[in-house]
Amino acid sequence: MIEVRKLCKSFNGKKVLNKIDLEIRENEIFTILGPSGHGKTVLIKLLVRLLEPDSGSISYDGQDISSLSKREFNEMYKKIAFIFQSNALFDYLDVKDNLSLYKKLHTKLSEKMIMDEVLEAIHFVGLGQDILNKFPEELSEGMKKRVAIARAVIKLPSYIFYDEPTLGLDQGNIVKVIELIRSLKKDVSLTSIVVTHNIHLMFEISDRVALLKDREIVFVGDKDNISNVMLQNLYEKGEDYEL
Amino acid sequence: MKKDLRILREQNRQKKNHTFWKICALIVDSLGQKTIAFFITVHEIWILFLSSMRSIFSIWFFRRQFVEQLYSFSVKTIPITTVLSIFLGLGALVQGIYQSNPFVPRVYTVNVVFKSLVIELCPIILSLVLAGKLGASLAAEIGSMKISDQIDALKTLSLDPVGFLVLPRLLAGFIMLPIITIFANFIAILSVFFASSVVSGWISPLEFLRGIQLDFRVFELILGSLIKPSLFGILIAFMGCYFGLKTVGGAKGVGKASTNAVVISAILIVIVDYYLGVLFL
Ligand SMILES: Nc1ncnc2c1ncn2[C@@H]1O[C@H](COP(=O)(O)OP(=O)(O)OP(=O)(O)O)[C@@H](O)[C@H]1O
Ligand SMILES: [Mg+2]
Repeated sequence: MIEVRKLCKSFNGKKVLNKIDLEIRENEIFTILGPSGHGKTVLIKLLVRLLEPDSGSISYDGQDISSLSKREFNEMYKKIAFIFQSNALFDYLDVKDNLSLYKKLHTKLSEKMIMDEVLEAIHFVGLGQDILNKFPEELSEGMKKRVAIARAVIKLPSYIFYDEPTLGLDQGNIVKVIELIRSLKKDVSLTSIVVTHNIHLMFEISDRVALLKDREIVFVGDKDNISNVMLQNLYEKGEDYEL
Repeated sequence: MKKDLRILREQNRQKKNHTFWKICALIVDSLGQKTIAFFITVHEIWILFLSSMRSIFSIWFFRRQFVEQLYSFSVKTIPITTVLSIFLGLGALVQGIYQSNPFVPRVYTVNVVFKSLVIELCPIILSLVLAGKLGASLAAEIGSMKISDQIDALKTLSLDPVGFLVLPRLLAGFIMLPIITIFANFIAILSVFFASSVVSGWISPLEFLRGIQLDFRVFELILGSLIKPSLFGILIAFMGCYFGLKTVGGAKGVGKASTNAVVISAILIVIVDYYLGVLFL
């Protein structure tokens, strides 16, 4: 379980997040929905300590992560997978090395066993073996996203964070990504945290939802309790959103 | 009428005075900010250096990255080094011959050319050129990783960016630059030998050898081809990594990072070279 208490963050004196309180339960898909530019990426990066908060606390299963040393936190990263808005595949490594890097450096598995896991992961996200020797720049956006998901699941994490998983994908790919997120919850019982501005995606996958607007969480709860009025308010300034 | 004029003049003077102080304040302000920024940079560089030293025991863990860097620091720089050192040698020889008069024995000219090449010219020119080549590419490589979240991605894979990116490059610079410099010295002396002795017959091979042995000190060789280049190698790699990791703001930021890396490491190389000379010679 992840607990967030009174989290604040500002950049150059400008407040981006103000007193965020959240509770994310085991094995649920928790979505944070909000308009573009309202601090979703900042929030999700704070959750995994890629950014340091100005104040407030974040704890995983009761352990406050701000008190962990760098080494302890590196240990902790083994339980966490993060899928970046930009995918962040290593562009000087081919797909195979992107996927196997973690296993090569953190486990003592043989080359062949690692390869088997890579193949398993790449099949899990619905891609073929032919992709393994390609470099990220040779892939389409949809493929990149799925490789990024494969790189995340190969770690066997307990928490998986998605930053705008459907951004820039066509309908076919969106459906595939949604299926992946769902099956990761069902088959591997991961706790998933999804950040998006896509209302359709939010309704498709979420168990619970937080609405983020103007630096604050304006609603947390079951997705069925979200009314149209709330959504209208969320986007009332005419910010761009996909439906 | 006259009074009006006086008032007007007075006002004008005050206004001028006012702008003058304003400009002064602005200058002081920006100088102050620059100074603060300078010390922050020094502090950050120091912290990065400490943390790369601390991660030195994890080099075995990152050995693959280390070997890759050794490769890119050596093999990829050989062509440029070869051309550079051939002409450095020839240039030094031409200069030496031009500066010496008929009363100076030719062995002395060879001696001067040899020493200036080994102690000063080869290490410093080579390092400056490699600062351009390696420093810029390191900064650009790491900078573009930074702006596309790849550095953060390393962290989420429990890989320390300092251990994974900085340390292998630092060590590669530390080890490879001396080796490249020794290679460059060798090529440069060889080209001098060919030009002065084999091709033109200006000096006999035996005399040439005597010129090199004249007042020969091993320490000078050590300074010129081990101490200097290893420090320069660390400087080049470190500045490339530091400015790369500091990159913000898109492609423009990457360009700025690599320019900074080259300029700062070139300046530092020249300064360090001077102090090493003062310290050791
Ligand atoms: N490193 C930074 N330095 C300064 N300001 C930042 C930084 N990162 C984010 N911001 C600011 O924080 C605000 C929120 O940015 P964030 O990227 O979290 O938005 P977002 O909700 O993820 O938007 P999108 O849906 O477009 O990805 C923006 O106003 C942005 O300008
Ligand atoms: Mg975002």
